[in-house]
Amino acid sequence: MATVTIKHVTKAFGDNVVLKEFNETFQEGEFITLLGPSGCGKTTMLRIIAGFEKPTSGELYIDDQLVSGGKTFVPPEKRSIGMVFQSYAVWPHMNVFDNVAYPLTIKKVPKAEIRQSVDRVLAIVHLSQYAQRFPNQLSGGQQQRVALARALVAAPKLLLLDEPLSNLDAKLRESMRFEIKEIQRELGITVVYVTHDQTEAMAMSDRIFLINRGVVQQSGTPQQIYNEPANQFVMDFLGKVDFFKGVAENGRITFPEMGNQSIAYDGPRKGPVEVAVRPENLYFCENGVLQGKLEAQYYLGDVDDCRVRVGDTLVRVIANGHEFQDLTNGQPVSLGIRDFRVFEDNGLLEQMLQIQT
Amino acid sequence: MKNATVLQSGLQKRDRTPAITKIALALVFLLGIAVIAMGYRGMQEYGASGFSSEGGYRAIYALSGDVADAWSKKLEPQMAALNDVQRAALDQTAHDLLIDAWEGQKSGAGAEAEALLNAAQEGAERRGLLWRLLYTTYLVNGPKVSTANKREITGVSAADEAAFRQGLLAALVDETAAVPGAAQSAVGDAQGAERQAMLAQTLFVSNGSTDSRITEQVNVLKKGVRDKGAQLAAFRMTARGEVSWLWQLVVANSRTAILVGIILALDALLLTFLMMGDRTWIVDFKWIIILLIVDFLLLFQLMPLVYMIIKAFFPEGSFSLETFKRLYTYSLNLDALKNTLIAAFSTMILGTLLAFPLAWLVGRTNLYGKKFFRALFVLTYMVPPYVGAMAWLRLLNPNVGSINQWLRVLFGLSDAPGPLNVYTLPGMIWVLTSFYYPYAFITISRAMEKMDPSLEEASRISGASPLKTVFTVTLPMMMPSLISGALLVFVSAASCYGIPSIIGSPGRVHTVTTRIVEYVSLGQQGLNDATGMAVFLMVMAVIILFISDVVLAKRQYITVSGKSVRPAIVDLRKWRVPLTVIVGIFAVIVIFIPFATIFSTSFKIDVGKSMFQAENFTLSNWKTVFGRTETVNSLKNSLIFAAVAATVGIVVACTMSYLLQRTRIRGRKIPDFLITLGSGTPSVVIALGLIMTMKGNFGINIYNTAYIMIIAYMIKYLMMGMRTVVSAMSQIHVSLEECSQVSGASWTRTMFKITGPLIFPSIAAGWFLIFIPSFYELSMTTLLYSSTTKTIGFQLYEYWTFTSQPMSCAMAFGILLIVVFLNFVLNRLTKGEFSI
Repeated sequence: MATVTIKHVTKAFGDNVVLKEFNETFQEGEFITLLGPSGCGKTTMLRIIAGFEKPTSGELYIDDQLVSGGKTFVPPEKRSIGMVFQSYAVWPHMNVFDNVAYPLTIKKVPKAEIRQSVDRVLAIVHLSQYAQRFPNQLSGGQQQRVALARALVAAPKLLLLDEPLSNLDAKLRESMRFEIKEIQRELGITVVYVTHDQTEAMAMSDRIFLINRGVVQQSGTPQQIYNEPANQFVMDFLGKVDFFKGVAENGRITFPEMGNQSIAYDGPRKGPVEVAVRPENLYFCENGVLQGKLEAQYYLGDVDDCRVRVGDTLVRVIANGHEFQDLTNGQPVSLGIRDFRVFEDNGLLEQMLQIQT
Repeated sequence: MKNATVLQSGLQKRDRTPAITKIALALVFLLGIAVIAMGYRGMQEYGASGFSSEGGYRAIYALSGDVADAWSKKLEPQMAALNDVQRAALDQTAHDLLIDAWEGQKSGAGAEAEALLNAAQEGAERRGLLWRLLYTTYLVNGPKVSTANKREITGVSAADEAAFRQGLLAALVDETAAVPGAAQSAVGDAQGAERQAMLAQTLFVSNGSTDSRITEQVNVLKKGVRDKGAQLAAFRMTARGEVSWLWQLVVANSRTAILVGIILALDALLLTFLMMGDRTWIVDFKWIIILLIVDFLLLFQLMPLVYMIIKAFFPEGSFSLETFKRLYTYSLNLDALKNTLIAAFSTMILGTLLAFPLAWLVGRTNLYGKKFFRALFVLTYMVPPYVGAMAWLRLLNPNVGSINQWLRVLFGLSDAPGPLNVYTLPGMIWVLTSFYYPYAFITISRAMEKMDPSLEEASRISGASPLKTVFTVTLPMMMPSLISGALLVFVSAASCYGIPSIIGSPGRVHTVTTRIVEYVSLGQQGLNDATGMAVFLMVMAVIILFISDVVLAKRQYITVSGKSVRPAIVDLRKWRVPLTVIVGIFAVIVIFIPFATIFSTSFKIDVGKSMFQAENFTLSNWKTVFGRTETVNSLKNSLIFAAVAATVGIVVACTMSYLLQRTRIRGRKIPDFLITLGSGTPSVVIALGLIMTMKGNFGINIYNTAYIMIIAYMIKYLMMGMRTVVSAMSQIHVSLEECSQVSGASWTRTMFKITGPLIFPSIAAGWFLIFIPSFYELSMTTLLYSSTTKTIGFQLYEYWTFTSQPMSCAMAFGILLIVVFLNFVLNRLTKGEFSI
C-alpha cells in the first residue's frame, strides 16, 4: 500500500558508521526482511524509516513524500506507520483494549468506531476474549499479539517489525511466523521486518536484504540469495558452509591442503580460488572425487554429522542417517560432491566473514 | 552391602535428630524461663533489701548521708555568717561553674576551680569545701581525666580506696554498726555518681533551680545510683554468706537476667517455629545468625518502639488517652502538629513538582550539561539539611539576609525588615523543599532510566506527540515511583529536626520534632509527653512505609527489558537553550548561592556585612574551630562512631544479603523487615525510644555512652547499606559461585575470591552510605549525646545557637569538604562505579 524509497542513506554515531549508502525502493505490499547479525545496522535502518533516528545523509521517502533528508524531518507520529517492538512495548498501565485503541484515541476517532476497529483487529490476532486483561496477565505470545494488533489498528500504510519473535519460545515462534505472514497477505500491507534469524527471513519474505557491517551484501528473493549467493558472507550466513583454498586450472581445481586432490571444474575462474561447499552437498559413495579417512560421526537422528580427514583438511559431511550406518571411525571413505560454488581468492575471507559486534 | 549400612545409619541418624533437636530447644526455652524466674526473684530480693528504684537512691543517700551531714554541719555556721546577697552570689557562681563543666568548656572552669581551691586554704573553709566538691564533680564528668588524677586530687590512694571499700562492706553487713570514717569517704569516693546527684540536688534542684540541664543531669545520676543499688544489695547478701556468687550475679543484674531469659525463650520459640516447616529438624548455622540479628533488632529497635506505644496508651498502667488529650489540647502542640503536616505536605508537593521535570529534562532530553546537573542535584542529597537551613537563614533573615538586602536595593525599598522572612512556615517549607527534592529526584530518575524506551516510542509511532507521550505513557508509568518518591519526601520532611530547629525555633514555628526534643530536655514528665508526640510521628511513618513498600511495590511497572536500555532522547529543539538556562538558574539558587553563603560567612566578623567590606574579613573562625580541643574531639567522635556503625552495619548487611539472595532459609525475611522498619522510623523516635529503654530499667544501661549513639545510627542507616549489597549480589548469578565450588574451592574461599571481589564496589558504597549520614547526624545525637560523646554535627548546632554563626559556618564548610572528599575516595575505590 505504501512504497518506501531510500536514497543514499548513511548513518553514523560519531565516528562509527553503522549504515553505508543504503539505496533501495520497497514496493507496495512487499514483505521485506532486513537480515543480518546483531549490530549490522538493520535495526538502525528500521528506526530511520520509523523516524526515531535521523539519517546522517541521504533521503527517505514514504509514498513519494520526503520524510527524512535535508532540512525535512517528519516526526514518527506524523508518518502513519505501525510498528511492533522487540520488547513488545505493551503499556502495563492500560488493559488490552486501551492499548490497542490508543492510536485511534490519539486520532480522536469516535468511540463507537474505535470499539469496532479494536474488536476487528483483536479478532485477527485471536485475542477477542482478552480485551479487559492487563498485560501482566498475558503470556509473552499474547503480549506480542497485542503489540501487533496495536500496530495494525489504525490501518497503517506500512508495518515495521523489529525482531518481534525473538523473545518467544521456538514452537510459538514458528506459529506466529505464519500468522504474521497470513495477516500481511490478507491486508496487503507493506512490511519491513528485521531479524537475525535466517529461517524466519526465508519463510516470510518476498525480498531479503542481507546486511553486514552497515552494507547490503545482497538483496533478492529467498531462493536467489540462498542459491546464488553474491559472496562468501552471504553463503556463510545462510546455512552451513566450509571454505577450501584451491587452484583452478585446466578444467580442474586442485586443493594443496588436501594432498593435491582435485575435482572437475568447468567454470570461468582461473588461479587461486575459494571453494565453498555446504556439508549436505557432500556424500559418501563408492568412487567419489575425494579420498579420505572417517574421523568421527555424530548421530543426529535424521542425519549423520561426520568429519572426514582429506589430506591435512578436516571436511564436514552431513549424510542421510540411513546411508552409511555401518561406517566405522578410521575407515577410508570416498566422497562425492553434488554442488559447490567457486569464489575468487582475494585473501579477504576472514575480514568478510567477520561480523561487527 | 556397605552402601546399605551407610544408608541405614543415615536413616537412623535422621530419625534421632528431630528428637535431640526438640529436646534441646525445649531445654533452651526452659533455661530462658528459669533465668527469667531467677531475675524476678533477684528483683524481689533487691527490693526487700531496700534498694528498689527510688528506695535504692534513698538508701545510698542515707548511707552517704553521714558524709553529707558532716558537710552541711560544717557549712551551716559559715552559711549563716553570709548574708543573702553573698549566698546568692555564691550559688550563682557554683551554678555557672557546674554548667560550664557540663557544657564541656573545661579549661577555663578547671583553672578557676583550681584557683578557688587554693583560695580555700586561706580560711574560707566553706567555699573551699564547696569548690572541692564542684571540682571533683567536674573531674568525674569531664573527659580524659584518669582515675589516678582523680585520686590525686581527692587525696585518696589506691590502698585507701581498697580500705574504704572494705569499711563500706562491713558497714553494709551490719546496719547498726557505726560507719567508719574511712567508709564515709568511701561512699563518697566509690559512688561518684550518686554523690554528684546528691550535690546537684541539694544545691540547685531543692533551691528551686529550673535549669532543665541540671534536672536532666540529676536524673541521669539517679539512674546510676539505681544500678549501684542492685550491686550493693548483692554485696550485702554475699557478705552475710547467704548466697553463692552466681546468685549474687543474678541479684546484681536481675533486670539483665530477665531480659536474657526472655530473649532465650523467644529464640527457642522462634527457632521451633522456623523448624516446623522443615521436617529434618537439623539446626542450621544460618538460623543462629538470623536469630542474632533478630535479637539485636528486637532489643534495640522493636522493644523501644513497643515500649513507647505502651507508655503512650497506658500511661498509668491502664488504657487511657489522657496523654494525647493533655498534649493536643495544648495549643502549642496542636500548632506543632499542624505545622508539621502543612510543611511536610507542601514540601512533598513542591519537591515532586520540581523533581519530575528535572528528572525528565536531565534523564530524557538533550539538555546542555545534563550530566553535570544530575551530579549536582544528587550531591545535595549528601549535604546535611541543617547546613542548608543555616545558609537560607543567612540569605533570608528579614533584617540582614543577603537576598533581602539585594531586594531592598533593587526595588528601592526602605530599610524596614523584609521583604522576605525565613522565620515563617513558608520559609521553612522553602528550605525543606530545597533539601528534600533530591529524594524524589533520585527515585524518579532511577525509574526513568530503567524504563524501556520502546514504551514511549510505541506511543510516538501510534501518533502521539512527544508532549502527549509524556502525559499518556511516561507519567502514568512513573506514577508508582513518583508516589513513593513523594511519600519519601513527606516522611523525611515531617521527621526532619535540623531545619525546623534552626529556622523554626527562632520564628516560633514549632514542629513535632522540635517539641519532642524540648520535652525530652524537661526530664521525666517531659519524656512521657515526648512519647505521646513521637507515637504520632511513628504511626504516620509506618503507614507510609507500608503504602510505599507493600502497596506500591506490587504496582511497579518498571521492568528491565531484555535489550540494553538506551533511553530515547527527546530533542528539545528551540527549547533547548531556554530550558538549560532555567535549570541553571535553579541550580544557582538552590545549590550555589547557599554554599557560597556558608563559605563567605565563615570568613566574616559581622555576619550582616559583606566579606569584602573593610575589616570584616578574618581567618580566626577557621583557626578557632580547628584549634579547639572540643571541636577536634567531637570530630574524632563523629569519625569513630560513624566508622564503627558503618563497619558493623556492613557486616550485617553482607550477611543479610547472603541470606536473602543465596539461601531459601525460612525466616530470612524477618530481619529484612525489621531493618526496613528501622530505616523508616523517624530519627527522633528511634533516639527517644532508646533513651526510654536503655538506661538500666530493662537491664541494659548504655545511656550517655557512645554505644547508644552507634546503635541508633545503625538502626537508622543500616538499610541503605543492605539494599546496595543486596542489589549487587542479585546481579551475580549463583552459577559463578557454584563454578568456583565445583572447581574445588571451599565456601569461604569462594566468598573471598569470587563473590567478595565482584561485589566489593557495592560493599564499599554501602559502607559509605552508612558512614556519611552517621558522620554528620544531628536529630538523634541531640537526644543521645553526653558531654563526652558530642559529635561534629551537634557541636556545630551548639556553636550556631550559643556561640558564633561564622564559626559554625566554618565547621559546616569543613563537613562539606569531608563529605566531598569521602565521595571522591569512594569513587576511586570503586573505580568510578559509585559515587553518592
